[in-house]
Amino acid sequence: MRWSFRPSRISAMGSLLWPWLCAASVALSLLMLATLLTLLATRGLGHFWPAALEEATLHSGETVIGQPVRETPLPNTAGIERLYFTGNRDIDGASWRWVALDDIDTVAVPDDLIRLERSPWGDFIGRLEAVESEGQHFEDDAAWAFVARALTLPDSQRPNAQLQLTAANGHTITQPLSGVTLFQAPNAMSWGQKVVVWSERIWQFLSEGPRAANTGGGVWPAIFGTVLMVILMSVIVTPFGVLAAIYLNEIAHQNRLTRLVRIGVRNLAGVPSIVYGVFGLGVFVYGIGGSIDSWFFEDALPSPTFGTGGLLWASLTLALLTLPVVIVATEEGLARIPDAQREGAVALGATRLEMLTRVVLPMATPAMLTGVILAVARAAGEVAPLMLVGVAKLAPQMPVDGEFPYLHLERKFMHLGYHLFDTAFHGEDVQAAIPLVFATALLLVLIVLVLNLTAIFLRHYLRRQRGNEC
Amino acid sequence: MTPPRLPFLRQPLRLIHDRIATGLITAGGIGVLLAILAIGVFLIWETLPLLAFGDAFSLSTLSPLAWGTLKAALAAMLFATPIALGAAMYSALFMSTRLRSRVKPILELMEAIPGVVVGFIAGLLLAPWVERHLASTLLVIVWLPLSAALAGGLWYLANARLRQWLPLSWAGVWLMPWLAIMVTLALWLSPLMEQAWFGGDLRRLLDQQYGLDYATRNALIVGIAMGFAVIPSIYSLAEDALADVPASLMEGAQALGASRWQALWKVALPTAGPGVFSAVMIGAGRAVGETMIVLMASGNTALFSASPFEGLRSLSASIAIELPEASPGGLTYHLLIFAALSLFIFTFLVNTLAEVVRQRLRRRYQRLGGKL
Repeated sequence: MRWSFRPSRISAMGSLLWPWLCAASVALSLLMLATLLTLLATRGLGHFWPAALEEATLHSGETVIGQPVRETPLPNTAGIERLYFTGNRDIDGASWRWVALDDIDTVAVPDDLIRLERSPWGDFIGRLEAVESEGQHFEDDAAWAFVARALTLPDSQRPNAQLQLTAANGHTITQPLSGVTLFQAPNAMSWGQKVVVWSERIWQFLSEGPRAANTGGGVWPAIFGTVLMVILMSVIVTPFGVLAAIYLNEIAHQNRLTRLVRIGVRNLAGVPSIVYGVFGLGVFVYGIGGSIDSWFFEDALPSPTFGTGGLLWASLTLALLTLPVVIVATEEGLARIPDAQREGAVALGATRLEMLTRVVLPMATPAMLTGVILAVARAAGEVAPLMLVGVAKLAPQMPVDGEFPYLHLERKFMHLGYHLFDTAFHGEDVQAAIPLVFATALLLVLIVLVLNLTAIFLRHYLRRQRGNEC
Repeated sequence: MTPPRLPFLRQPLRLIHDRIATGLITAGGIGVLLAILAIGVFLIWETLPLLAFGDAFSLSTLSPLAWGTLKAALAAMLFATPIALGAAMYSALFMSTRLRSRVKPILELMEAIPGVVVGFIAGLLLAPWVERHLASTLLVIVWLPLSAALAGGLWYLANARLRQWLPLSWAGVWLMPWLAIMVTLALWLSPLMEQAWFGGDLRRLLDQQYGLDYATRNALIVGIAMGFAVIPSIYSLAEDALADVPASLMEGAQALGASRWQALWKVALPTAGPGVFSAVMIGAGRAVGETMIVLMASGNTALFSASPFEGLRSLSASIAIELPEASPGGLTYHLLIFAALSLFIFTFLVNTLAEVVRQRLRRRYQRLGGKL
């Protein structure tokens, strides 16, 4: 058969191939999602793994000691260069070093290289020469044993000691033990030890505050701030959302107006979050907060107490933002309850209140819970409005402490998402902060995904348990 | 629904409780609804003082921002719409039911990934990578659909055993490794092609021949990142609309000899058209208002430029950057609130339109005897 150009043939071919393009879009979306999650997981968790340190001797005779990070082609000539993380910002003035592969003579992985995390100045990479402690002098194995033992003690009981360290260029420095937070010799560790160190560092990340301009340490204050803000928000949003849904579905007359209101509420879920932030700033912070200041905190003026962003205003703003989510979810639950249930309750002599509290609300609980969890998941990942109403780069005080009234609603707080944004885009040494940013991003995504999955499973489970009714 | 009015009861306390509770619920409900309404009222109220500024106020300060917003949204929609609609058509009509019940929740979970994470990946990883591999990126964008078609072509040529083993209804999953291989292949080949066609450096070529500047963070990056973020919202709504097309219509078309794709194209799509349209509208609304991704991936330079390789600054990003520093009552403050108002009105209108269209569609399905 001779092949000739006929539109029908093209369309026949198209109808054979189009489904494949559609299938490929599903595959592509899944692939992108998988890539994103794998990237976050490997880069986020990989940072805590005690990576091997290399000692590279260059043709020029210079030695570079550091952790190899990545390799890229040289910009203008052929060849590849490798990026080393060398630490030692106090000695070299920079913590990164690009070395062309052609310049490297030999690469060794000696066991005696150490990596210290210290404050100030961040990481030190080099060798431990000796330890001076209260007149005693240790060298070699004794020095190692001394440092290892000293670091297991709590901060207050640590001996007063000075470490003598040598960097790659032969420069010797003296480092007080009190400034050291981590001491490891990754090349000498066995696989099991590495796993232990890895999990310890993840725990540190989760439980400590940030250090060294957010390039080291952990995110505990940010986790705490996020959780506290979200809890406050759900305490505010749940009753009001449920109340509004009950009113719309059970009490208001169903007419054109309620239909309009319903569409309006649904649409508010699609209004950009930054608009809520603007509202929060204008009404809560400047409006209500400003008035509270002028009534109750006049002596503190002009420095504002409630008239600036804070925990309370952030929670209120996010509560408003998530209100539509709760209302819509609860309403869906209420609408699924068959009228026969309500009529049955009323026929048995129940008042409307009794009908609502004993029959309708228990049946709608799964829907409400789902709504609240979805609201929490949305609020945990939302950053834009918080930038306007009270998130802080580095909050000096936690919003909860031992001082009366224990919960300080006017204080600024740290938030995981904003912490991520700020460290990644406004940090001093972004290159050094990126691994921690990955870890933070992974944590945030995990929190949000787990909340969403909980909502899905809860809805599924409760629906099945209650015979697919609500 | 209102329960029938009760006859006189002998327990006045219960009745009083009931009255009080009803009153409280009504008051609370109306209060909440008014609070929501207050957003619009506040925005309009705070925009009014702009009129008092007279000459000092001119819309031209906002127009590059409005342009940036539209450009970002357009780029995102160009990336997201084909993928999302393709995925919706495939999963509504071709995918096996078992796979669909897994894939749909996963794709919907994509929506939950916070914008700040997507923006960070786009701004700090994707943007520098694309800057170094511009030609590869463009090649991959062209190459992906071709490789999908190639997979289809090979499939029709393959023998029956293999076709049974790799059916079209599971293609959404088994195409994943295929696409991954194809992308790797394209990345491996692209330096050679760049050498042959563009003299080794596409960016320099663009600069010299067409005078196109290249900014690291640009509309292309925003398009990909924000596209990724709006795919799930478009997909989810469009898929619902397509899957709810009454089965009788599709069966009728196929009984008359239409192929599956013809039935989809000639019957399902026109019927579900309004639903698909509203899905795209809602996606556009989301793209216009998204803040963090644009803030982190766009470079935030207020430019009037149509080039996809130049930066932009959107209304939402400006609000996030400038409003905390603007003194309340000043010109900038009111101007930014006006920007927020325009975002509010735009998304509200778009969403209302989408919602009305969807309700119409639901009624149409009911008339056609669908399951809804």
